Amino acid sequence: MDYQTLKTDILILGSGGAGLFAALHALQANPDLDVTIAVKGLLGKCGCTRMVQGGYNVALSPGDSVERHFMDTINGGKWLPDQDMAMRLCQTAVTRVQELENELGCFFDRNDDGSLHHKAFAGQTFDRTVHRGDLTGIEIISRLMEQVRALPVNMMEEHRALALLPSRDGDALAGVLMVDMRSGEFRVVRAKAVLMATGGGPTMYRYHTPSGDKSMDGLAMALRLGIGLRDMEMVQFHPTGLLAGRDTRMTGTVLEEGLRGAGGYLLDGNGERFMLNYDADGERATRDIVSRGIYAEMRAGRTTPNGGVYIAMSHLGAEKVAQKFPGMVKRCADCGFDLAGGRVEVVPTAHYFMGGVVVTPDTRSRLPGLFVAGEDAGGSHGANRLGGNGVANSTVFGGIAGDEMAGFAAGQGTWADIDEDLVSAAIDESMSPLRRAKADINSIRDRLLDLMWEGVGVLRDAQGITRAQTQLADLKSELLASGIGDANRVFALSWHDWLNLQSLIEVSEVIAAAALSRENSRGAHYREDFPEVGSLEESYFTIARSEATGLKVERRPVEFSIVKPGESLIQDD
Amino acid sequence: MSSSAATSSTGSIAVSVWRGDARHGNFQLFQVPQQPSQTILDVVTWIQRHADPGLSYRFACRVGMCGSCAMMVNGIPRWTCRTHVNKVLRDNRLTIEPLRNMPIIKDLACDMSEFFDKWKQARGQFEGSSTRDQQVAALSPGLPRRRIADAATECINCGICYAACDVVSWNRDYLGPAALNRAWSLQNDERDCAGEQRLRAVAGDAGCHQCHAQQGCATYCPNELNPTASIAGLKRMVSQAWFNKGLACHPGKKCGLGKRHA
Repeated sequence: MDYQTLKTDILILGSGGAGLFAALHALQANPDLDVTIAVKGLLGKCGCTRMVQGGYNVALSPGDSVERHFMDTINGGKWLPDQDMAMRLCQTAVTRVQELENELGCFFDRNDDGSLHHKAFAGQTFDRTVHRGDLTGIEIISRLMEQVRALPVNMMEEHRALALLPSRDGDALAGVLMVDMRSGEFRVVRAKAVLMATGGGPTMYRYHTPSGDKSMDGLAMALRLGIGLRDMEMVQFHPTGLLAGRDTRMTGTVLEEGLRGAGGYLLDGNGERFMLNYDADGERATRDIVSRGIYAEMRAGRTTPNGGVYIAMSHLGAEKVAQKFPGMVKRCADCGFDLAGGRVEVVPTAHYFMGGVVVTPDTRSRLPGLFVAGEDAGGSHGANRLGGNGVANSTVFGGIAGDEMAGFAAGQGTWADIDEDLVSAAIDESMSPLRRAKADINSIRDRLLDLMWEGVGVLRDAQGITRAQTQLADLKSELLASGIGDANRVFALSWHDWLNLQSLIEVSEVIAAAALSRENSRGAHYREDFPEVGSLEESYFTIARSEATGLKVERRPVEFSIVKPGESLIQDD
Repeated sequence: MSSSAATSSTGSIAVSVWRGDARHGNFQLFQVPQQPSQTILDVVTWIQRHADPGLSYRFACRVGMCGSCAMMVNGIPRWTCRTHVNKVLRDNRLTIEPLRNMPIIKDLACDMSEFFDKWKQARGQFEGSSTRDQQVAALSPGLPRRRIADAATECINCGICYAACDVVSWNRDYLGPAALNRAWSLQNDERDCAGEQRLRAVAGDAGCHQCHAQQGCATYCPNELNPTASIAGLKRMVSQAWFNKGLACHPGKKCGLGKRHA
């Protein structure tokens, strides 16, 4: 199969907060660079930065400090975060928010005196979340997008990355194989530096929040190249995803945390409150606790018609609810539900992936030429991400990646030779479902989402995980023998559905292996057969890698490079 | 033509879907089972998953934040992810087409490039004077100009207003409601310092004066923005600038400011 070869200095995969900031910073550092952004959807429109509701954590308030933000991040991450990354996150968030306002034109909510408004967010000891109403992500990504679109960057929209291409000697990354989803043509982009910022996104669960384009392609490509992935057992579930029944795209999308914070009730199928049976804070307990409470109710069969629980707000006064949460009320109404005055079915929903590629705080992976930022990178969040640290993470490290890659491209970066046989093999593999007869891809997707939900979801144990691993292996064989029965590659969604499933199954295997390896319960990872947190002093994180003999998971001790368990950087704590 | 995978039981909808590419195409009929909670995007997805895997369309966030899935539904531009079937169903029939006023790539997916190029032409990006090393400007949310800027801000660039605009259909160069609405918001942003250049960008032959105030944009904007009002604001601003300083610049001609413009 023919393919076109292009050359660029810096290739960026993804156009969320990380990808766009990287492009901006790379060109600011060196305007002579040739920068290319490739993205699976439309630039700035797909991905999850746009979907941020809550806001952006930044220590800008009088009385708050970077150290306090850092300690909250470490405590929230149950002592698993890479402390140097977490510190870099908290420090750089300050300049990044000022950059967003002063240079990009974001306008975050203000107090009457004109100062930035900081709202309270779960798990934090200070009100530090900067926001724009409850649609912060739209403001951030829209302003970023218009800045980047005004720059001389090469845009490859609706291009799917198929494989990371190492140099012939294997010592560096040389480029990326892509397919133009609109035409079906293959393209190899050779680059001196590549940023992987495809945005993770745990969409292999029956209920999930990320945008539909996300399917862990980045991590799957890294895995195939033998790159180590850390904290892969750490999948954050948001407790209240909308539940609208099978075959509905809206199912799984987030109903915001503030609903519970404001006093909303969670009710079982019989209309009874249940969260107080699980935690003294009831519905206001943290995301992980509420998710587990709902999951336990569902497992006990006390469910709503579609198999979830209800969220009810009407006791707070329908008018008040409509006033306080206009976006959520309108969204539910458009989909046929009355959030303000009635009950809406909800379920826990897979929201964010804490795990990812092992990187240094300056976004370098171990493979020269490969930089990773945003949800594809692991380390900042450890076992749990604080609400408001997600968009901070992607924008902070995206900008850093842009600065670093500009230096790398002008220095040690080269256009390394690519093995053409490798390209041909990868193209051939990607086209295999086009050659095979039509099979029931939807059934494979449904079974994948069900088995991950049941076996490696909110509550886990060895037996369930092992069963899921067997099912995953079977499903993988079935997928590899399945076709879509249509050879047309032009805007071929069903072909991409197949490729998405391949990435999702491969990464699911890693999640399961890492989940089996961690024999304690930390943050988002809860083992019913190992419910204890384990010794904080002996905290370890997992690294998974694909080897010739199969997946290998090892445990590595957390380096307490800044603060040890029992200590704090805050004087008065 | 009816799909073999679909059933034509009483609980089904007759959906007429535009199939084709930039050169030619026609409508194809599908029978889609009706469900209690079902959006237009769910209908389109059902067809691709169960009736015709070759159907092309675009979506991303599923919930009205990204503006990728807009299509013409019974002739009206809508976010398909947030349009409940019951709201638009007529005689158990639906017609779904790609967004108007943009080149078609395939089936229900169109090319939005010109929409974003015009955003850029309207100088739809902020140009400030302070830097990341300075504090954020202290600005009360109640300031009159801030209120105007804010009122026009919540746009997700879905292209619905652009598809709804007849002037865009007549004049392919017209910048369109979304780009001009953004320009208006920026013209009222106290922190922005490119007001003069932006005003020139929107004052030309393809700019704000082309708007006939037919209100298509304001009628169909799912976020209830009013680009018509924003464009009227720009018109006033351009006229004022013209009277004050002689802004009416034309390429290559000398303007009242004594500068030549490219």
